[in-house]
Amino acid sequence: MQMRASDVFKLAFRALRARKTRSFLTILGIIIGTAIILALVASSNGLSTGIQGQVGKIGANTLTVSSAGQFFGGSSSGTQSYELSQQDVSTIKSFQGVSDVIPYYSQRGTISYGGNSISGELIGIDVSTLSVMYKGLSLYSGSLPDSYDPSAAVVGYSIAFPTGSSNQLTLNQMISVTLGGSTSGSLTFLAKGIFSAYGSVLFSNIDETIFISLQSAQLLLKTQYFSGLYVITNSAGDVASVQTAIETYYGTQVRVMNAGSMVSSITSITSELSVFLEAIGGVSLFVAAVGIINTMFVSVMERTREIGIMKALGYKSKQIMALFLAEASLSGVIGGIAGTMLGYVLAFMIGGYLPLSGGFGGGPPGSSGSSGSSVTAPVFTSELIVFSLLYPIGIAVLAGLYPAWRASRMNAVVALKYE
Amino acid sequence: MSSKSFPAVQTVDVTKVYRSGHIDYPALKGISLKIEKGELVSIVGPSGSGKSTLLNLIGALDPPTSGRIIIDGIDLRKLNEDNLAVLRNQKIGFVYQTFNLIQRLTAIENVEMPLIARGVSEKVRRSRSLAMLNAVGLGRFANKRPTELSGGEQQRVAIARALVTRPALVLGDEPTGNVDSKTTKEILSYIVQVNKTLGTTFLLVTHNPEVANMSRRVITVKDGLIEKDQHLQRMDSYAGL
Repeated sequence: MQMRASDVFKLAFRALRARKTRSFLTILGIIIGTAIILALVASSNGLSTGIQGQVGKIGANTLTVSSAGQFFGGSSSGTQSYELSQQDVSTIKSFQGVSDVIPYYSQRGTISYGGNSISGELIGIDVSTLSVMYKGLSLYSGSLPDSYDPSAAVVGYSIAFPTGSSNQLTLNQMISVTLGGSTSGSLTFLAKGIFSAYGSVLFSNIDETIFISLQSAQLLLKTQYFSGLYVITNSAGDVASVQTAIETYYGTQVRVMNAGSMVSSITSITSELSVFLEAIGGVSLFVAAVGIINTMFVSVMERTREIGIMKALGYKSKQIMALFLAEASLSGVIGGIAGTMLGYVLAFMIGGYLPLSGGFGGGPPGSSGSSGSSVTAPVFTSELIVFSLLYPIGIAVLAGLYPAWRASRMNAVVALKYE
Repeated sequence: MSSKSFPAVQTVDVTKVYRSGHIDYPALKGISLKIEKGELVSIVGPSGSGKSTLLNLIGALDPPTSGRIIIDGIDLRKLNEDNLAVLRNQKIGFVYQTFNLIQRLTAIENVEMPLIARGVSEKVRRSRSLAMLNAVGLGRFANKRPTELSGGEQQRVAIARALVTRPALVLGDEPTGNVDSKTTKEILSYIVQVNKTLGTTFLLVTHNPEVANMSRRVITVKDGLIEKDQHLQRMDSYAGL
C-alpha cells in the first residue's frame, strides 16, 4: 500500500494553489534569495575572470620593475626614491634567466585633437617590443613610428575613435598632449599609426594610451630616468628566481611585480569579495527559509482537521509528512527556477556597475574615453546554475521538515475535533 | 481476507481514561460487546456518556487505556501505527456529523482520497468514485466543491467516500445530525440498502430515535458503561427499502 509520487505532488500543488497569495509571497522570498546569490556570484566570477584575462595579456614570463616610490605610473615627486637608469637595464640584463629588459616612461595627461579631449596615458617605449609585451596587439592602420622621429606617435583605438564623438583621428593628424604632474606645457605629435581595440592590461588601458619612442620620451620629458622596466625572462619558470635576484640586489629601492603574483593577490581579493556576496545571498535565503517554516506552520494549524480526516481515511503518518514536504519542496522548485531566471537577468544589470570597464586602476572612473563595450560580463558556470536550482529546494525541504513532522504526529481524534 | 468465523467487532473490558492536568476523567469504564458481521447497530446515550469515545476506539483512531479491541479477528494491540492506518483504510469507513470533507477538493476528489492513500491509479479510482457518487445519486455533482452542495448532498458525498473502499465496517458519528428529516430518511434507507445488499456492518452513534428505530440492535451507553443492549424487530417502513 504505497501512495504514488505523482499523487503526492498533485495534492501538494492543489494545496499551494488553494492559498495563492500566501504561497506566492513565500515563494517570492525564495526567488529573491536565489536571484541574489546567483547574480552576485556570477558577477564576482565575471570580475575575477576579467581581471585574470587582463593579467593574462601580459606574458607569464614578464616582470615589472619600478622604483619603490612609483606605483600607478604617475610621476614621483619624492626625490629620495631610487631612479631607474640605463645602468639598471644593463645590470638586470646580466642576471641569469633574463632574456631582455625593456625600459619605459609613462605619464598621465590629457590628449587632444580636433575638438576631442581625452584623459589617457603617454608611454615612451621601444615601440617594436609592444606586440611582444602585449599579446595580440596589432595595428589598425598606419605604421609604427620611427624611433628617431620625436614627433611620431601611435595611438590606442579609443583615442582615435572616442565614443560619443563624431570627430575621428586620421593618420598624420596633429595631437597635443598636456601632461599632468610636474612637467608643464604641452607636447605635439603626429599620429603615424592607430592600434586595433585591445582593452585593458593591469594598470593601463592600451586603448587610451599614446605611444612614442623611448628616445622621443627621453628628449621631450628631459629625463634619463625611466618610469619602469619590463623584464622578460627566458621562461615562466625563471620568473621567481629573477624576481628574487632583483629584490636581493636592490632591496626595498624597487618594487618588482609579476603577472602570477598579481593574479593570486587579485584572486584572493575577488574570492573574499565573492564569499562576502555569497554570505549576503545566504542570509536572504535563510530569511526565505524562516518564511517557509512560518507559512507551513500556519498551514498545518489551519489544516488540523484535514489532517485528522486523512488519518481516519487511512493515511499513514509518513504519507502525511510526505504531502507537507512535497508542498515545501514545490515552493523550492518554483522559487529556484524563477529565482535563477531573475538572477540571470540581474547579474547582467550588476555587471555594468563593476569597476572593470575603464582598466583596473588605469584611469579615473568614467574617464571620457572609456568605451561602454567593456562591461564586466557575469560568468555562469554549470555548477553555479545547478547549485542555484537545487539549493533553494534543499533549503525549502529542510524548512518544511519540522512543520511536516508536527503535522504527521497529530492525534487523529483531537485533530478531528479541531474547529 | 475476513473470515466468516470472526465477529466484525469485539471489545473486551475496554476502558478509556482522559487525563487533564492531574485529574483523570474516565470516559469508558469497561465495555465488552460483540457485533457480528452484517449487523446494523445503533449506539445511543446522553451526551458525555462515552459513545463517541467508544466509536473512536473501535475505529482504531485512539488506543484504549486497557482492554482489547478486535476488528475482524485482528487484535488492535498487535498493530503498529502504520498497520492501524492500513486497517482503517481497508476495513473501516467513517461518516461524521460535520461531513468532514476537504473543502478545496471537488466531490469526486474527496471520494478518491482513501484510494489515493492505497496508490490506486487515477483512471481506476476515478471510475470507482464516480460509480459510488452515482449510487448515492450525486453523479452530476462530481465536480462541485462541498461549499456548492447542500448539507444532505455533502453527507452523501461523505458516505460515498466511506463506501468506495468496500469496507467491512462503517462507523457513523451522528451521521444525520446536521441534515433535515427528508434527507435523514434518504440516508437511512440507503444505509439499510447497503447493509442488506453488501452485508456491510454499520455502527451508528446517534441521538435520533428514527435512526435507532431502523436498527435491529440498540446499545445504550451511560456513564462509560453499557446500560442496555436490545435486539429489536426492524420497523417495516425501512424493511421494504
